[in-house]
Amino acid sequence: MSDTSQGTGGLAFDKSKRQWPNEINVFGALILIILIFEGLGAAIMGQSFLFDSNGRFDSIFNEARLKIIILQVSIIGIIALGVTQVIISGGIDLSSGSVVGAAAMIAMSFAQVAEVNGSPNPKAVFGPAWMDLPIIVPIFVGLAIGVLAGMVNGMFVAIAKIPPFIATLGMMVSARGVAKWWTSGQPVSFPTESYGMIGGGMMPVVIFVVLAITFHIIMTQTIYGKHTYAIGSNEAAARMSGINVGRHKILVYAIAGMLAGLSAVVLTSKNLTAQSGMGIIYELDAIAMAVIGGVSLAGGRGSIIGTVIGALIFGVIISGFTFLRLDAYYQEMVKGAIIVGAVVLDQWRQQRAAMKA
Amino acid sequence: MKKLLLTAGLTVLMGTSAMAQQIGVSVARFDDNGLTVMRNGMTTHADTLDGVNLQVEDATDDVAKQLDQINNFVASGVDAIIVNAVDTNATEAMSAAAAAAGVPLVYVNRQPINMETLPDGQAFVASNEIESGTLAAFRMCQDLRAQGKSGGAKAYMLMGQLSNQAAVQRSKDFHDVIGMDMCNFITLIDEQTAEWSRDKAQDLMTNWISSGEPFDAVFGNNDEMAIGAIQAMKAAGISMDDVVVGGVDATADALVAMQAGEMDVTVFQDLAGQGSGSIDTALKLIAGEDVDKTVFIPFKLVTPENIGDFLQ
Repeated sequence: MSDTSQGTGGLAFDKSKRQWPNEINVFGALILIILIFEGLGAAIMGQSFLFDSNGRFDSIFNEARLKIIILQVSIIGIIALGVTQVIISGGIDLSSGSVVGAAAMIAMSFAQVAEVNGSPNPKAVFGPAWMDLPIIVPIFVGLAIGVLAGMVNGMFVAIAKIPPFIATLGMMVSARGVAKWWTSGQPVSFPTESYGMIGGGMMPVVIFVVLAITFHIIMTQTIYGKHTYAIGSNEAAARMSGINVGRHKILVYAIAGMLAGLSAVVLTSKNLTAQSGMGIIYELDAIAMAVIGGVSLAGGRGSIIGTVIGALIFGVIISGFTFLRLDAYYQEMVKGAIIVGAVVLDQWRQQRAAMKA
Repeated sequence: MKKLLLTAGLTVLMGTSAMAQQIGVSVARFDDNGLTVMRNGMTTHADTLDGVNLQVEDATDDVAKQLDQINNFVASGVDAIIVNAVDTNATEAMSAAAAAAGVPLVYVNRQPINMETLPDGQAFVASNEIESGTLAAFRMCQDLRAQGKSGGAKAYMLMGQLSNQAAVQRSKDFHDVIGMDMCNFITLIDEQTAEWSRDKAQDLMTNWISSGEPFDAVFGNNDEMAIGAIQAMKAAGISMDDVVVGGVDATADALVAMQAGEMDVTVFQDLAGQGSGSIDTALKLIAGEDVDKTVFIPFKLVTPENIGDFLQ
C-alpha cells in the first residue's frame, strides 16, 4: 500500500492505474505524422520537410514552412476554440462556418475605403459617410453579429429545448442566407489600410495563440470552465448541484459565436475581401480539429490544448502534401481517415482504461 | 357603365398577362461572384424590356434541386426556362422535361453534355471556354519572352474545383500553350487546386514559396486565386516585377491589382452579356424565330495597355 495515497472522498490513488493525459497521445500522433513526411521527403523529394536543407534560413528549421503550417489553420483554429467549448458542454455547433460568412460580409462593409487608386471604391456597399471608419467599428460589428448568432443558437437549445444539432443547423442555413442577401452575392472589397493589418503577416497566429492560452486558463481555472465540463458530463447532476444550466449554455454558444465573428474579421482582413461563400465547411474542419485533439462528442471530455494540437495536425498534413506535390484528392482522403482513426484510437484507449480500473 | 369599366379593366388585365413573358431562371449558385454578375445582367436586362417577368431560383449547387426547379417551372406554365447548370453532366433530364412540355430552354454559361443532341427550341449561350485560358496563357508566354526569359521559365498553376468544367478546360489550355514550340521554354513546377478561393490560394502559394524553388510565373484559373497568390508573394517579399501573374474574369479587385502593377494578365468574360444574351435568345425561341444552337459571347484579353476600357 506504500505507493497508493488517499484522495478526497476516500478514493485510492493508484499510480499503476494512472493514465497519460490524452494530449500526450495526440502530440505523439503529430510527431509521428511529421516523421512520416520527413521520411517521404528524404526519399521522394531529397529535401527535409521541417529542417532547412538548402541553407536558406539562419536557423536549422525551414522557417517559412513552420510559419505557413500554423498560419493556414489559425483562422479555423479560432473557431475551433469556441466549438471545443460547445462540444465539452455536450452540444454541437454546425453554424460557425455560415456565421463567418455573414459576419465577414457585414463587418467588411464597415471597413471600406472611399477611394481606390484615386477613383471611387468600385465595391462600395454604403455611401461615403460610412467609409474610412476607424477599425473598431468593423471589429465591433463582426463580434456583435457572432455573439447575436451564438445567443440565438443558445436560446433555442436552452430555452426552446431543441437539439443543438437542429438549432445550429437552422442557423447554418439562415446565416448563409444572410451572407448572400447582404450584397446579393457581390463580394465586398478594398478595406482601409489599418483593417488590413488585423490579419496581415503572422497576426492570425498571434491572435489564435493568445486566445488559445486565454481559453485554456478559463477552461481549467475558472467557474465557467468547471460548469462547462460539469454540464457536459452529467447535465442532470449539474442542474441538481445548483448550476443555472440554461444560462450557462447560452453563454457558451455566445462565446463560440463571438469567436466565429472574430475569425471572420481576421479572415477578411487577411484576404482584403469578403465573399458570401466564405467559411463554407469551416464548421466541420473546426469540429474535426477538436475531435482529433481528443474532445469527446459525448461531452464532458477534452481540452483547448488538445484542439490546438488537432489544428496543428491539420496544418502539417496540408503543408506535407503540398511539399510532396501530391494532389488534393489524397489530401482529403487522408484527412477523413485521420478524423475517424483518431476517434477509433480514443475509444480503444477508453475501453482499455475501463478494463484496467 | 360600371360593367363596361369592369370589362375594359379585365380586358386590359388579361391583355397584359397574355403579353407578359414569364421566364423561369435556375442559377447554379447565388454566392458565386461570376454567376452573380451574370444573374444581375439578366435582371437589369429584363427590367429594360417591356412585359418580361423573371423568376430567378438558386439551385445551391444541388443537381437534384435544380431539376425540381425546372419541373416546377414547367408545371407553373412559364414561357421559357433559362438554366445555368449545377452539373453539366445532368442536363439530359432537363432537356427532356422541357421538350416534353414544349417549353423553350436556354442553357447559359456552362455547356450542357447533350450539346450534340439538343432538341429543337433549345440553345446554349456562353463564351467559348477554350478562349479564356488560351488567351491568358499565351499572353503570359509573350510577357516572359519580353522579359528575356525564353531560355527557361518556371511556373505554378492554381486550379479551380477539379470537378468543374472551366477549371479542367483552363488548366488544359495552359498545358496546351506551354506545349507549343514558341512557349515550351516554360516548365510547370506544380499544379494544385485552391478551389477558386483567394484564402486557399494564399496558403497554397505560401506553401510553395516555403520550398524555396525559384519561379517566374503563376497562372490562376480565376482572378481570386491569382490575387491570393499575389498577396502571398508580397508577404514573402517577392518583387511583383519579377513574376508574371495571370488570371481569368477581370474582376474589380483584379483590375485594381493590375493598376498597382501586380497582376499582368486577365481575361474578361462578358458575364453580364451572357445573362442578357440568354434572355434575348429565350425571347427569340418563344417567338419561334430561328436561333443557332450555340450563341457565343466573346472573351477579351485585359492587360495594362487596355485596362482603361474595362474600368467602370
